Amino acid sequence: MKAVRRVLMLLTLAGIAAWVARLRGRGGVPPSGGGWRELRGPDYR
Amino acid sequence: VTSVLVVGVGAVGGRCARQLIESEGVEHILLCDRDGERAASVAQAMGPAAEVVEWSPAQALPRDLAAVTCALPGGLDRAVAERALEAGVPCASSADDPTSVSALLDLDDAAREAGLALAAGCALAPGLADVLVRHAAGGLDDVIEVHVARVGGAGAACAASLAASVSGDAREWRDRAWVHERAGSGHRLVWFPPPVGSFDCARANTGQLALLVDAFPDLERASARVAARRWQRAAWRATRSRGEGGYGAVWVEVRGRRGDAREVTVLGVVDRMAVAAGTVLAVATVTLAGLAGGAGRVTTTGAHGLGALVEPVPFLAELARRGVRVAVFDGSAAA
Repeated sequence: MKAVRRVLMLLTLAGIAAWVARLRGRGGVPPSGGGWRELRGPDYR
Repeated sequence: VTSVLVVGVGAVGGRCARQLIESEGVEHILLCDRDGERAASVAQAMGPAAEVVEWSPAQALPRDLAAVTCALPGGLDRAVAERALEAGVPCASSADDPTSVSALLDLDDAAREAGLALAAGCALAPGLADVLVRHAAGGLDDVIEVHVARVGGAGAACAASLAASVSGDAREWRDRAWVHERAGSGHRLVWFPPPVGSFDCARANTGQLALLVDAFPDLERASARVAARRWQRAAWRATRSRGEGGYGAVWVEVRGRRGDAREVTVLGVVDRMAVAAGTVLAVATVTLAGLAGGAGRVTTTGAHGLGALVEPVPFLAELARRGVRVAVFDGSAAA
């Protein structure tokens, strides 16, 4: 039981750390559509 | 015999040497490194066209060189560039810290008088990033803002430079003037091409901005960021292959005007950092030397970054031929 509690505690802490880390990055706007494609063609556009 | 001197054969210099030896027009390369065993090992891998030389910037350059390429840690390349200018030979350097870049840009007058091109910051960011900005600028009437970000580094010297870049003071170009900020501040989530994805990046003290402002003097704003957190960089290093410096990415956002419309172009590269940086340095060197394996013509003389010196389309085409491919983001961002 003690081990299960420890695991749950660790998972909770890891979740909080990940949430904080994600929030810490500001200003970037996640792409909502489209995607990356390789530049091709004679003009590389 | 067309010879190129490679000064520094670490992670980037070694890959650059490999690319040079495979370049049309380069018949012989001279390798020079303070670690003689490393230079010998690289020369052995190159075959008979490579030769180790004992040379230091206190000496005149070896004779009959077509170009000099310098992949030394920051602060050591200025003396090499001075010897190259004295000998009338173009020179490309990969050092990216602000002191090294400024020291090379200070040689602008001497380089112009000599009718030579001296390329500073010839790696990924600065380096390829500057070419990408020039390429994006080609589709615009005016370039207003440029923002560059990078995750990952190529080799030990680059890792040290990266770590130093997020401490102390960082200049940023804002409203056509330098503004001093704290390096490591100004966090922004940057979306690199897959598989890298998003990374928290912060202001970096790098030579990137000096090169951009030199190439685009009418810029209103410019910023340079790197993946910021120590644990992020450590995790990145630990989870990626280190055989060739590990994978990394460069992201460039160019904002400007075309007609009455405002345009935003986002370009990116994901590659093994040492291989890609070595390839950029080699293509820059061969181009400056005007050899057949180069990429277009050199557009001006003097000391500048690649954004001011090379034609972007032939340069990107040559990089693509050598396996370094650039992506553009097509799409929209959430409001």
